[in-house]
Amino acid sequence: MSNQLTAFERSDGRWGLRNHVLILPLHSAFSATARKIADDSSGAVAVSHDWSGEIDGDFDRIVKTISGFAANPNNFATIFITIGTPNELAIIELAKKIGLGKFEVLNVAELGSMSKIADIGLQMANSLLKEAKASQRISAPWSAIKLGQECGGSDALSGITANPALGVASDRLVELGSSSVLGETTEILGAEHLLAARAITPEIGARIVETVARYERSINYEGIDMRGAQPSRGNIEGGLTTLEEKSLGAAKKAGSAQFSGVFEYADQVVNPGLYFMDTPGHDTEQLTGFAAAGINIVVFTTGRGTPTGSAIVPTIKVATNTTMASAIPDLIDLNAGTIADGLKTLADVGGELFDLILEVANGKLTKAEKGLHHEFSLSRMYNTVIR
Amino acid sequence: MSMNGFDHGNRGIGVRNHQLILPSVVCSTRVSSRIAKELGAVTFAHQHGCGFIGNDVGRITDYFAALANHPNVSSTLIVGLGCETLQGNELADKLLSKNKSTNYLVTQESGGVQGTVDSGVASAKDLQNRFPTPKVSLPRLHLGIDLSNESPVVTDLVAALADVGVDVTVSSSHKNSGLNFSDLMEAGVHVILSFPDSNQPASGFPLIPTINVASNSPLHLALTDDFDLSASSSVAEIIEKIYAVVNGELTKVEAIGAGEIIAAREVRSV
Amino acid sequence: MLSILMRKVLVLNESDNIAVCLVDLDIGEVIAQDGLNLTIQNRIPRGHKVASKDIAKDAGIIKYGERMGHATSDIKIGEHVHTHNVLGDRLSTEQVK
Repeated sequence: MSNQLTAFERSDGRWGLRNHVLILPLHSAFSATARKIADDSSGAVAVSHDWSGEIDGDFDRIVKTISGFAANPNNFATIFITIGTPNELAIIELAKKIGLGKFEVLNVAELGSMSKIADIGLQMANSLLKEAKASQRISAPWSAIKLGQECGGSDALSGITANPALGVASDRLVELGSSSVLGETTEILGAEHLLAARAITPEIGARIVETVARYERSINYEGIDMRGAQPSRGNIEGGLTTLEEKSLGAAKKAGSAQFSGVFEYADQVVNPGLYFMDTPGHDTEQLTGFAAAGINIVVFTTGRGTPTGSAIVPTIKVATNTTMASAIPDLIDLNAGTIADGLKTLADVGGELFDLILEVANGKLTKAEKGLHHEFSLSRMYNTVIR
Repeated sequence: MSMNGFDHGNRGIGVRNHQLILPSVVCSTRVSSRIAKELGAVTFAHQHGCGFIGNDVGRITDYFAALANHPNVSSTLIVGLGCETLQGNELADKLLSKNKSTNYLVTQESGGVQGTVDSGVASAKDLQNRFPTPKVSLPRLHLGIDLSNESPVVTDLVAALADVGVDVTVSSSHKNSGLNFSDLMEAGVHVILSFPDSNQPASGFPLIPTINVASNSPLHLALTDDFDLSASSSVAEIIEKIYAVVNGELTKVEAIGAGEIIAAREVRSV
Repeated sequence: MLSILMRKVLVLNESDNIAVCLVDLDIGEVIAQDGLNLTIQNRIPRGHKVASKDIAKDAGIIKYGERMGHATSDIKIGEHVHTHNVLGDRLSTEQVK
């Protein structure tokens, strides 16, 4: 038991670092109603999305994402808004299996109209919020922390300052018994051999390499040059020339610990250790997948500066350079540019980031949370051929 | 039957007078919603603009351009982040060649989140002042019909509409109303008449007033309050509702703001 | 050890053939540190790469001691190394305009 970490213990033994009441529309038409309930309530959070129940190649991935998101341990309670079709109700059942907390189901077909939903949903949200505020944090083990590593709007200093600093903090947490997950398959393409060499078994190493190879085959099949997207325009302006260069820097987020396993997108992260998860490089699709996997805190390194966050997972923004951190400070939580400026060492900033992760885990709000940045993106393969 | 219109210059004459705050990338959707809230302008959540490749980049750029150039739009403020694949300034330059009532902001170059919200509100107000919208009469109505669901009334309705000089575009390529709405938006329709699929709720499109006609499905019968018309509505009643909506009556989904923008994609995000 | 503060460029690994510019560098600036002795041949923005050795066409670009792509033309020591003279080995086909 760590004497420094406190969290909300859930009935299934998982731990929440937040105690949210989530308003979750199971159909895109109810996104506006979900937003209204959250805005009018005394602190509920809502997400919007563009899925209206289509059953196509992405159906399983979407159901897995939405149900996992609802079951994230940072949610004290979830209010589902649904039209009650079998597919939407199946999402609620899957969420229960994963570990759904308290929940309510607002079935529009039973209640008669969307405007009725807004009124009933608001009362429900406010009473659940009262209950949530009454529940207390208790002392929690380090295994309560499930850290997600993310980078977005990277530049050439990402691999020199912010990412290695995150690696220091991640190594320390993994040593203490937390879980830490590296994602963004696109952004380890060219560095996968370095990560595979750190797998605890050859089989896990091979799976890291194969996950990247599978991705590369699907993109090669499309026959499209990725530059402008990977690396993005901002990456290129920031000095990143090739995808491999970006990956060599991005891989530093994972520190030097050994890899204990490989996850598919939005698989549940349960055991302590360092893991790799197959997620896209797209910032908000990646973060939504992490949240669906039960990750309850994220460190997000950025060189060009991005404000995005998550409705339920606190997202700590770490700047790679002092120029950006001082130009647009209201979206940065920690500046790692001091390393390149020669003012601090990697160990100093890694230690500062570890302390900040603990502070945020204990309830300190990040800039993205204060700014109500609740981006939510369903990750789809569309017609991409996966080989 | 005289119809109210708003003269939006090169965009044409619209039936609504919406200022559009257009987030050119998912990372500026929150900033855009804060700007829109202060002005009562229209914006929308989406997940595009970055980490996408191939035809999708041009397709989404053209889609956003169609939104910005829609006749129901008075002026457009584009809000980008700065490092994304789809550059807000490039989209703005493309639009400025057609519509002067366009401007853009990049979060990374305008002082971060709060700085962009403040200058965004100021810039949007400036657009409203510099490009006032005179009220005019609408010479010809362009109606879009979302045929996600079959309805016996449609054939007679289309004939009756033609008689009174209404241009009609029908979209039935998708079972998903959202995608049909997007096709109809790109066709520039003023108003949408939607026949949602039997197990789909009523929904709409942020810029275009959408009239929902219920079927006799159990779901629709349970949701009557969300529908403007029912399966038994006559051609005359439908046309009467269309004119009322053209002249300012809010549709049920319009009043709630229900309906997200769904942009079609081909390839996964990278 | 020269503290980073005084440095204009950063050599990440001794087997690298590029160095990362920590500040904007102008034509003619001389870099003499960490065994480097070169003159900047073109304007190089902060964060971008400068060739710390002559790099032949098709030769690998080495950063962090690892290969990150290859030169698409001969590159002289002191020259800017970026999308105009380098291509990734994987998933990169045309030159970015």
